[in-house]
Amino acid sequence: MGKRVLLADDDQLLASLLNFRLKKGGYEVHHSLNGKEVKEYLKTEMPDIIVSDIMMPYFSGIELIDYVRNELKSNTPIIIISSAGNEQNVLSAFELGANDFITKPVSPTELLVRVAREINKK
Amino acid sequence: MIPPRQIKISLITAPEFNLEYLWWLSILFMVLALLYFIGIFLIRNRITSNSGRTKDKKIELSPMISEFLFYEDSNSKEEKMNYLNLKIQIRELIKDNFDRSVLTEVLLDLRKDLSGQSQTVLIELYKDLGLHNEAFEKLASRRWQIISSGILELTTMEVMESYSLIIKFINHRQGTVRKQAEIAVVNLKEEGIGYFLDNTKYKISEWQQLKLLDVLRHKPNFEPPSFGLWLTSTNIHVVLFSLRLIKYYKQSDAEQSIITLLKHKKRDIQAEAIDCIKEFLFVSALPTLKMVYGKASNDIKIAILDTIGEIGSKSDVEFLEKLKKKERNFNIKSKVLGTLNKIDPESILPTKNISSSDYFSSEVESDKDVNDVQDDMANEVTTQSLEIISQNINEVVEELIVEEANEPIIDEQIVRINSDEHLELAEQEINELEYKVDTNVSEEITSLEQSVIVDSISEIDLSFLPKVDNDNIKEEEAISTDLETVLEEERVLTFDFLPLIISNPNIEEVKINDEDNDFVVLFSLDEDLEIEPIEIENQIDSFQENVIEEIDWTNVSDIDSNQDAEVSKEQLISFENDTVTFSANFMLQDELDTMVLLENIAEMGDCRELPMLQELLAENTSPLILDRTNELIQRFLYQSPRPNELFSSKNDLAESVFTEVYNHSDKETKLILLQEIKRIGDKKEIQLLESIINTESKTLAKSANAVLKHIKSQIVVANVEEINTVENNNPLFNVDFELCLSEASKRMMKSNENGSTIFDQLCSMSNTLYNKING
Repeated sequence: MGKRVLLADDDQLLASLLNFRLKKGGYEVHHSLNGKEVKEYLKTEMPDIIVSDIMMPYFSGIELIDYVRNELKSNTPIIIISSAGNEQNVLSAFELGANDFITKPVSPTELLVRVAREINKK
Repeated sequence: MIPPRQIKISLITAPEFNLEYLWWLSILFMVLALLYFIGIFLIRNRITSNSGRTKDKKIELSPMISEFLFYEDSNSKEEKMNYLNLKIQIRELIKDNFDRSVLTEVLLDLRKDLSGQSQTVLIELYKDLGLHNEAFEKLASRRWQIISSGILELTTMEVMESYSLIIKFINHRQGTVRKQAEIAVVNLKEEGIGYFLDNTKYKISEWQQLKLLDVLRHKPNFEPPSFGLWLTSTNIHVVLFSLRLIKYYKQSDAEQSIITLLKHKKRDIQAEAIDCIKEFLFVSALPTLKMVYGKASNDIKIAILDTIGEIGSKSDVEFLEKLKKKERNFNIKSKVLGTLNKIDPESILPTKNISSSDYFSSEVESDKDVNDVQDDMANEVTTQSLEIISQNINEVVEELIVEEANEPIIDEQIVRINSDEHLELAEQEINELEYKVDTNVSEEITSLEQSVIVDSISEIDLSFLPKVDNDNIKEEEAISTDLETVLEEERVLTFDFLPLIISNPNIEEVKINDEDNDFVVLFSLDEDLEIEPIEIENQIDSFQENVIEEIDWTNVSDIDSNQDAEVSKEQLISFENDTVTFSANFMLQDELDTMVLLENIAEMGDCRELPMLQELLAENTSPLILDRTNELIQRFLYQSPRPNELFSSKNDLAESVFTEVYNHSDKETKLILLQEIKRIGDKKEIQLLESIINTESKTLAKSANAVLKHIKSQIVVANVEEINTVENNNPLFNVDFELCLSEASKRMMKSNENGSTIFDQLCSMSNTLYNKING
């Protein structure tokens, strides 16, 4: 059984592509379209890694990091995907405990490598 | 009834309108509104359904696209078969226009989000599916929006074949298409920037320049052409953009072109060329920079000075020195000075608000001889001023010479006159400076003399002198000053306000405890008199008696009445041997009380106090009290109302006390009040009752009428009683003698008893009869 990846992104097209790529890479992927779904999922199950877009409805990527680190007290690796040119978001994400940061446009292969690296670190 | 003519006139002026038209119009507007809302509803529904269909189609297409994007040759046979099936399926799909447009949209969206290999595969898929053909068709459209979207699509998907089709839009009249084409041309091929710079005829906006630069910057493996080639372009925007590109890509091969552009008429190009010169440190541009400086704008001048500061040498100091003298603009002059210091550090020292060194050295040289100092300073200042003036004269002469050289038409005489005028002005300046020097020097001499004197005094031994306390001196000075002030004031003051002045040297001064003082003793504060203290606690009774005996009241009163104001003043306050003597005066307690009473009456009393005042007038003999009482009587007499006014209708005293209560009462209370008036009322209530009878309702008027009758009857009775009482009590009717009637009179009276008339007779008969019956 592959490692579980929580993919949180409101862009269905990109999420579908990444989902496909991660599944192809041997991971078990759960896709959530918004922050609410992410929260619900995390209450029931903790994945091996979280890949989240920074801009999501109801619950941003930054809030997700805060929630996982401070409320759930989990050290699950978190990779944040965001548009380029938002340095403040990057800094905030790393301050709150994000493990990695990828800017769009995303290379699905690169993401796969980063996910594998973070899981291996864990 | 309105006359028919008037009806006609009103119909002519009023607009005639058929109500039927109004109804038809209303129906028409309602139909139009209905159609409008139906249209909106249908369009909205269509957009929503299209959006839903597109979304569903995207979800349907995304796994297929993912399969295509991440297909690898190393996949298993099943996966390869699946890939082939999908390819067939997607080709079937794109036959439908809607599906094709959705697929294009999906690929364009993913193009933005994906990078690396996936992006390349995506672009290949786009071309492989032949979606670019549709974009080519768009370029042929007449609508500029579609052309623009077609160019964007082809640029995004990097369709190189479209380059030749897009370049023709570089000079499109529609700005959006033109800008899209510019970006496409620069983006699609490396030589695109050259083509664009060669062929564009329109303005390249600042924003567009930035976008183009961004495209070039992100273009992989881009080798920029020598942009110096476009510095000769006739399109100034191309020149400007080229200069910026030269600076960005650090192309220093166009030195002479850039230097030449310093002379360009456009400030933007001049500024950009100066920036390039500064960036590439083109020293050969210095002469051109100096040449251009003269007619440049302030901004350009500052830029040139900045550049000279970077690339200049000491040979440029002379040029800058001239500018220092010539420039009047504060910013430029500051820049010149800054540039001078940049080329030749510390050649210019601070001069503003800097004092001369003499200002600081003057204190140190205080021990010098005063005359020497005077001479030195005068010489120095005069020399300095002469130097300044001579310098000014030289400058003026130089300027004049320069002007003469520039304008040979100027007459020599005019120059001479001007120089003469300048010389006169210079002489005036010299005189003024000399005067200032004299004044300053004399002031300094005075201060120096004082310091010398102080120094010499400090050297003398003054220990033999008695020690003087500074505080005591100040106190003494203060006392003497106060005394002088008091004396001066006393000479001016008048003492008419003082009430009673008694100064009798025969009266012995007695010290009395104020607490036990229920009477007033007159005494004088004469220092010559010896005050013998008396034990009041033990001998209070005898003391009172003695004092009363000792005081000569007649004498006092005599003094009061006889002494005039001048004498009083002299006796009240006397100045002997620089001492002030006051003579005190006190009233008797009774008089004091009376005066207090009078003052209270004056403050709060009115005409009702007149009897009391009359009593006081009769009882008191003190002139002060009498005066005050008379004064108050006069005042209250004037204020008191006349008897006829007192009970007039205007006076409050004539008004019934029930009036106000009555006016604020209800009917029941009014009736009760009328009963009360009946019981205790008097003639004052008549007016009120009469007004009630005249104005109020029948019930109240009836009651009031009854009360009025009652009161009137009471008044009559009271008047009779009063007359009787007056008759009984009045001493006028109590005569202490009897009238003696004569015989004739008695007969007359007797005859009168019987009466002389028939009526009298009848009366007398009845009286006689009555007397007989009653015995």
